[in-house]
Amino acid sequence: MPKRKLDPLPSAAFQILLSLVDDDLHGYGIMRQVEQQTDGRMRVGPGTLYSSIQTLLEAKFIEQVDLREDVKLGPARRRYYRLTSAGRKLARSEAERLADLLRVARAKKILRGEYV
Amino acid sequence: MSEKIYAWMLLLYPASFREAHGEEALQLFRDRARHERGFLPTFGLWVDLLVDFAISLPREYGYDRPALAGAGAYGRSHGVPSFFILREKLPRVDALFSGSVISLAALAAVWILLGYPGNYAGAGIASGQSMGSSPYAPREAPRTGPEDIASANSNSAPADWSLNAAERQRVIEGAIANLKAHYVDRDVAQEMAEALRKHQQRGDDDLPMDGGAFARLLTSQMRDVAHDMHLVMVYSREPLPDHPVEATPEVLARYRAELQQDNCTFKSVEILPGNIGYLKFDSFPDPSICRSTAAAAMASLNRADAIIFDLRDNRGGEPAMVMLIAAYLFDHPEYMYNPRENTTEKSWTPSPVPGSKLADKPVYILTSGSTYSAAEHFCYDLKMLKRATLVGETTGGGAHSGVWHRIDEHFGMGIPETKAINPFSKTDWAEVGVEPDVHAKAEDALEAATKLAKGRLQEK
Repeated sequence: MPKRKLDPLPSAAFQILLSLVDDDLHGYGIMRQVEQQTDGRMRVGPGTLYSSIQTLLEAKFIEQVDLREDVKLGPARRRYYRLTSAGRKLARSEAERLADLLRVARAKKILRGEYV
Repeated sequence: MSEKIYAWMLLLYPASFREAHGEEALQLFRDRARHERGFLPTFGLWVDLLVDFAISLPREYGYDRPALAGAGAYGRSHGVPSFFILREKLPRVDALFSGSVISLAALAAVWILLGYPGNYAGAGIASGQSMGSSPYAPREAPRTGPEDIASANSNSAPADWSLNAAERQRVIEGAIANLKAHYVDRDVAQEMAEALRKHQQRGDDDLPMDGGAFARLLTSQMRDVAHDMHLVMVYSREPLPDHPVEATPEVLARYRAELQQDNCTFKSVEILPGNIGYLKFDSFPDPSICRSTAAAAMASLNRADAIIFDLRDNRGGEPAMVMLIAAYLFDHPEYMYNPRENTTEKSWTPSPVPGSKLADKPVYILTSGSTYSAAEHFCYDLKMLKRATLVGETTGGGAHSGVWHRIDEHFGMGIPETKAINPFSKTDWAEVGVEPDVHAKAEDALEAATKLAKGRLQEK
């Protein structure tokens, strides 16, 4: 069952879900968005990316939208992916779980400086 | 070459992965290769790919279904080693160093084993750029979806890895025969023919690849010799028609009626605040049908102090209409370069146009990535003649300058048969598009151009 593989939610899958929150993206767009939202710390390679996408598709957390051009990248048509409502829910619950962890870490005073 | 290597690497993944995402992964590689040029970025790209390969390949075989990246950090399955993404936590410096050395050695070994050290440096990238972006379309209206053929090269998912040797041989022979018979420069045609044969004999064409990849490979092999971006080999999954599709009188009548019903694609003509004339038209339609519509639109701009042509949704059309509209903007005949045609008297605008008061008015053209073909002809020439200021995005890059030759049911090629004199530059807009004078997002281009026009008029 794909869902089992998503519990706990692996980091790459969480990042992919987050990358799709604002807009539908194709594979290269997701890679760039993940890179941007992690300040360049994570750059997902093609094998890892599409492996994760496949599992998220099977679990219906994302869906394929259509093949279309990306005017910035040229006329080749690319497959776009979209976050489903279940995927959005999963991303939110994962964010809440991490926020809980952060609260614990704060309480134990292991963080330095200001954190939001 | 780089693309070939990566295509080879992809072959090592399970068939289920390749079928579902093989072509997409290859496309992602092309996108990265196109953007990450130069030694260091290319090196970084390959390090990423090798690390990704090492992580994702065992996992693809280790699980019944592909598991998620990084899943192994939390739970292991059947004792298969699994990994966390390296970027999450930087490895030790010595590990990075050894990894880099091993990666380099592996890369060099593959290069040497294939026997072409650096011969193709950049060719893979170049062919990546050209994939599907080598538009070719029959010139005659009515058009029947040229984009379908143009994009066929890059949309062959799921990948068909089974293009056989006989098919390849037939396509190569067909390409050589057509080049020799039709290419504008016979000496270069001969050189290309020799190069295609040499590649074939060396086994460059023997790697497993689908029709689209094979077409791109041949395109890059021809362009390596001719440096002519208008040369293109095209693969179409749909069978190509035996004969050029002749438009029947009924089709032509329907085309004419539809065009007239659509006001010849002239969508909007108005005078904006500041007495700026605005004309939006979404094609350059056949003047034999639309001359009067175009003339009426241009006449209604006469009283404006500046003109904005909105070509953001203009997908092209007839060069004759390009000349007709451009004629209004000059008080003397002006040479308009068109890569499709040799210089004739038709290369000069029929200026001045009686009654036109637009010859000395500032002109702005709004562009987007969808501005295409004949619309780019209009943009390119007016920009080069410094007769218009382009505002918006770089255009699509469709020069359509090859003449179509069918090779077999799935392959055909565009071959330039004329060599038009370009007085402005060595290159035109094929593949690269026309760059605007003022960059702006397509949706903001009208506002930007209006501002520029008002500023210019105030200076007067």
